[in-house]
Amino acid sequence: MKKIEAIIKPFKLDDVKEGLTELGVRGMTVSEVKGFGRQRGHTEIYRGAEYTVDFVPKVKLEVVVDSEFVPEVVRVIEQKAKTGAIGDGKIFVTALEEVVRIRTGERGKEAI
Amino acid sequence: MSQPQFPTSLLQKKRQQLLARFLKGGEPHFLERHAEVLDDYFRESFARSSVGPRMQVEKNPYAIIALGGYGRKEQCLHSDVDVLLLFKKKIPDEAKDLVQEIFYPLWDIGFDVSYATRSTKECLALACEDFEVLTSLIDCRFLCGFSPLYSDLMERLRGKVLHRHGRAYVAWLAERNRERHTRYGDSTYLLEPNLKEGLGGLRDYHAMLWMGRAAYRIAEPRDLEFFGHLSHNEFESLWEALSFVKMVRNWLHHLSGRKCDQLYFEYQVRLAKNLGYRQENGQQAVEGFLGVLHGQMEFLKRQHLMFLKRVVNAKKPGRKKAPGRTVAPGIETVHDALNFESPEAILQNPHLLIKIFEKSAALGQPLTAGSSRLVREFLYLVDKEFQSSRRVIKSFQRILAAPPHTFNVLNEMLNTGMMVALIPEMKEIVNRIQYDEYHVYPVDKHSLRTVQILKELRDAGPDSPDAFYGKLFAELSNPELLLWAGLFHDVGKGADGKDHARRGADIVKSVFERMGFSPQDIEVISFLVREHLLLIKTATRRDINDEKIVVQCAGKVRDVEHLKMLCLLTVADSRATGPKAWNDWIATLVKEIFFKVYQTLNKEELATPAAVDIVEKKKQQVAQSVISTPRKELETLFDHMSPRYLLYTPWKDILRHIELHQRLGQEPFLLETRANSGTDYRTATICATDFPGLFSKIAGVFTLNNLDILSAQIYTWRNHIALDIFEVKAPPDTLLEDEVWERVKKDLRAALRGELDLSAALDQKVQAYQSVQRKIPRRPDKIIVDNGTSNFFTIIEIYTHDFPGLLYKITDTLFRCKLDIWIAKIATKVDQGVDVFYVRDFDGQKVDIPEEVAAIKEAIKHILANGANNKAESSRLKAESDTG
Repeated sequence: MKKIEAIIKPFKLDDVKEGLTELGVRGMTVSEVKGFGRQRGHTEIYRGAEYTVDFVPKVKLEVVVDSEFVPEVVRVIEQKAKTGAIGDGKIFVTALEEVVRIRTGERGKEAI
Repeated sequence: MSQPQFPTSLLQKKRQQLLARFLKGGEPHFLERHAEVLDDYFRESFARSSVGPRMQVEKNPYAIIALGGYGRKEQCLHSDVDVLLLFKKKIPDEAKDLVQEIFYPLWDIGFDVSYATRSTKECLALACEDFEVLTSLIDCRFLCGFSPLYSDLMERLRGKVLHRHGRAYVAWLAERNRERHTRYGDSTYLLEPNLKEGLGGLRDYHAMLWMGRAAYRIAEPRDLEFFGHLSHNEFESLWEALSFVKMVRNWLHHLSGRKCDQLYFEYQVRLAKNLGYRQENGQQAVEGFLGVLHGQMEFLKRQHLMFLKRVVNAKKPGRKKAPGRTVAPGIETVHDALNFESPEAILQNPHLLIKIFEKSAALGQPLTAGSSRLVREFLYLVDKEFQSSRRVIKSFQRILAAPPHTFNVLNEMLNTGMMVALIPEMKEIVNRIQYDEYHVYPVDKHSLRTVQILKELRDAGPDSPDAFYGKLFAELSNPELLLWAGLFHDVGKGADGKDHARRGADIVKSVFERMGFSPQDIEVISFLVREHLLLIKTATRRDINDEKIVVQCAGKVRDVEHLKMLCLLTVADSRATGPKAWNDWIATLVKEIFFKVYQTLNKEELATPAAVDIVEKKKQQVAQSVISTPRKELETLFDHMSPRYLLYTPWKDILRHIELHQRLGQEPFLLETRANSGTDYRTATICATDFPGLFSKIAGVFTLNNLDILSAQIYTWRNHIALDIFEVKAPPDTLLEDEVWERVKKDLRAALRGELDLSAALDQKVQAYQSVQRKIPRRPDKIIVDNGTSNFFTIIEIYTHDFPGLLYKITDTLFRCKLDIWIAKIATKVDQGVDVFYVRDFDGQKVDIPEEVAAIKEAIKHILANGANNKAESSRLKAESDTG
C-alpha cells in the first residue's frame, strides 16, 4: 500500500478528481493548503500599503492505493494537473504500513 | 366485548393504529391523541392495580398527574413521559410497589418514563427552590386518583408560588431563553434547525405560555388571545405554526426512531417527500418544505420575542407610564423603543410607515411590538405611488447605510412585510432555501447579512484585519450603490434554476427604474448583480496566473471603481453564505485576482472597452476569411493568442500567421518575406516552435547576412508557437535578394542545430565593421527593469546607441541570464535603439529579486560597453531601475 500526496493548483482539482474517479479510486482526502516552492509568494503594493502573499494557495490531495496502482494514479494526477507553468505542484509517494477501517475493524488492503 | 388485554399491549396496539393514521395524513391531532392513549393506560393500570387498594386512599390520598409536555398533551412519538405520584401526606412504603406495577411495564416496551413521588408540601417547596420543577408543574394535568389533591396543588401553586416568585420566575425564564438561543442558534436561519430548543422552536411558545401563566395568570393557551396579548389573527397563525412544527417533529421522531429534535439533513428529503412536497418552480421539494418550516418558525420566534419584550417591560415597576418622547412628527420613543403616536397618524401620513424604520436605524432603537403590528396592518397603504416616492426611497437608502446595530432594521422590515411591500420582486426569495451544506441561510436572510457585512467592512478601521476592505470602501465615490447591490444580488434566485445573476440584473433594472434612479446608477447596480460571482469563480476555478484570464476578467469589469465594489461584494456575499464559502485560503485567491485585475485596468490598455471591441471584431474578420480551418480549431487558436497579440496585430497578419502555423508541420521553422510596396523594407516573418534563445539566433543570423534590423516584434502563442516579425532593410543588391534569403534559411537551420557558432562568426564580422565606424557623440545608455507595470512579465527597456549585432548581443545575454523573451518591441530611431523585452525566467516567473535584477543589468551594461568598443564609456552608463 502506498499513500500518494499531491499538491496541485486549486483550479485543477476537478480535473484530477474526475481522472481518479474514472480510474476507480474510491476515496480521497482534499485540503486547502498554502505554501511555497519554486513559485514564491510576492508582495502587492496598493496605494502605498504593502500586501504580502507569503504563501501560495494550493490544494492537497491524499489518496491511498494498493502498490500496483501507484504508477497509474501518479500518471493521471500528473497529466491532469499539468499546465506547464510554474506552480503545477508535486506528487509524493510514500510507503504505508497499515490501514484500519474504524467502523468494521478491517485492516490492510480491505480497508482502503 | 373485546377480550381483556394487558394494558401495555392495548397501549401498543392503539399507538400503532394512531401512527398508521398519522403517516397517512389522517391524524392531525396525533400528539393529543397519543397523550390520551397514555392517559388510558394509566387509568386502566391504576384500576387494575393490586397495590393501589392497599394504600388506603382515605388516610393518605394520592393522585397520578401528568407533567411537562405530557401534561400539555404534546406527546410526540418518542417524547419523554413525565409523571408525578402526588401524595397528600408522607410518602408510604407501598409507593415503590405501585411504581413498579404501573411504570415498569412502560419501560419494558421502550418508553422513556420519568416519575417523581412527592407530597404536596414537597412539591411546593421544591417549586420555590427550583424553577425547573415549577416549570414542569405548571403544565400539569390530572390523570387519576384523588382529584381534589390536584386542584389543591394547582391552587397553591398559582396563589402562593407564582404570586410570590412571579417576577423572579419571569426573569429566570428570560435568562434561560437567552442561553438556549445562544446554544441552539436561530432555527429560522439554520438549515438543520432544532425544532424544540432553537430560536423559533416549540420552546419559544412554551416560554410564552409559562410567562403568561406567571405574569398574566392565563390558564389556557387561548387566554393569550382572550386576555388581549395576541390578536385573533395572530393566535390563529400561532396555532397553525405550532401544529406544523409539532407535526414535523413527530415525523422526525418516526423517521429517526428516537427522540430527535434536530432536523438533520439525512431526514429532510424523506420528510419533504412524505409531506407531499413536489419539485416546482425550479425548487426542489425539500427546499419548498424548509421554506415553509422556516416561515412558521420565524413567526413563532417573532411572537415570542414580542411577548418577551412586553412581559419584561411590564414587569419593571414604575416605568409603565413613562411618557413618550417625540422623535419625529407622529413617532415617539417609549422605553427605548419606537412607537407610532397613534394609528390615525399613519392614515394621515403613510410615510410614517418607513419613517419609523429610518428612525429605528438612526437611533439604534427597535420598534415596539405594537408598532410592528401596526406596520403589518397598514401595509395596504404601500401602493405604487408609495413605492416610487422620492422621499420613501431616500428613507430606505438611509436605513440601508445606517451603522450596523445588534438588531437588524432591515430584518424587521422583512418580518413586518414592509420590504416585500416596497419591492414586490423580493417576495420570491423570502424563505427561499438552497438545499446544500454550502448555503447556510435562506436567500432573504443571506441578502440582509450581505448588506450587514458590507457595512462592517465599511467601518473596518486601520487596525482591523479587514483594513484593506475598509480602505477600498472609503475610496468608493458611490458606496450606496454597492449596498443596494448587496441587498439585491440574489434577487434572481426567486425563479427557476440557472443563471440567477443574469436574471437578477434584469429584475434590478426594472426595480430601480421604478424607483427613479439615474441610468448610470442603474447600470452600476445591475452590473454588480450580474457579475457578483465573477471574481470568486475566476479566483477559484481559473488559472489566475494566466494573463489572458485576467484580461478577460478585466474586460468584463471595465473600470477600477467597478472592481472595488465587486471585490467588496464578493467578500460580503461569501461571508454571508456560510463558513464553507469563505476562509483565509479563498480570501488570498480573491485578493490575488483583485490585484491582478486592478493592475490590468490601471496600467495596461488591453482591457479597455475599446480594446475588447477591437479584438472581437478582428476575430470575426479572421473567422470569415479562413476557409481551411474548422471553426472550433480556430477558436482554440484564438485561445492560444495573447491579448496583446490580438490587439496589436492587423487582422490580415493574423490570418497570414494562422496559415503559416498550418504549414509549419514538422519543420523547425518557416520564413516568409514580403516586400512593402514603395519602400526598401522587407517584412520577414518566422514561425517556429518556441524555445529559449530562438530570438537571439534569428537576430544573429540576420546580422550575419548584412540584413539591417529596423524593428522587431515577437509573440508567443500558448501552444508554444513563436512568431517573430522583423522589419529589415532590403539587401543592397536586390537582384540577388532571393539568394540572400536562402542563405539566411541555411544559416538559421545550422544555428538551430548548433552547427554554426553565431557568437564567433559575429565577432569577426563586427570587428571588420567597426574599423570603418565613425566616432560620433553618444547619449548615455539607459537600462530600466520594470516589475510594476505588468503582473505577468518583467519588462526590460534598453536605450542605447545602435551598432551592428546589438540585438543579437542583447538577446543572447538575456538568454544567458536564463530569461525567456515573450514579447519584444525593437525600434531604431536614427542611431538610438529602443528595445523593450517582456521576459520571464525559465520557470515562468517574473524576475523581482533585487540581486537578480542587478545581475541582469550588469550583464547588459557589460555587453553594451563592449559592443560600442569604447572602454571609457562604461562609466557614463546610467542605469535606472523603476520598480514602481
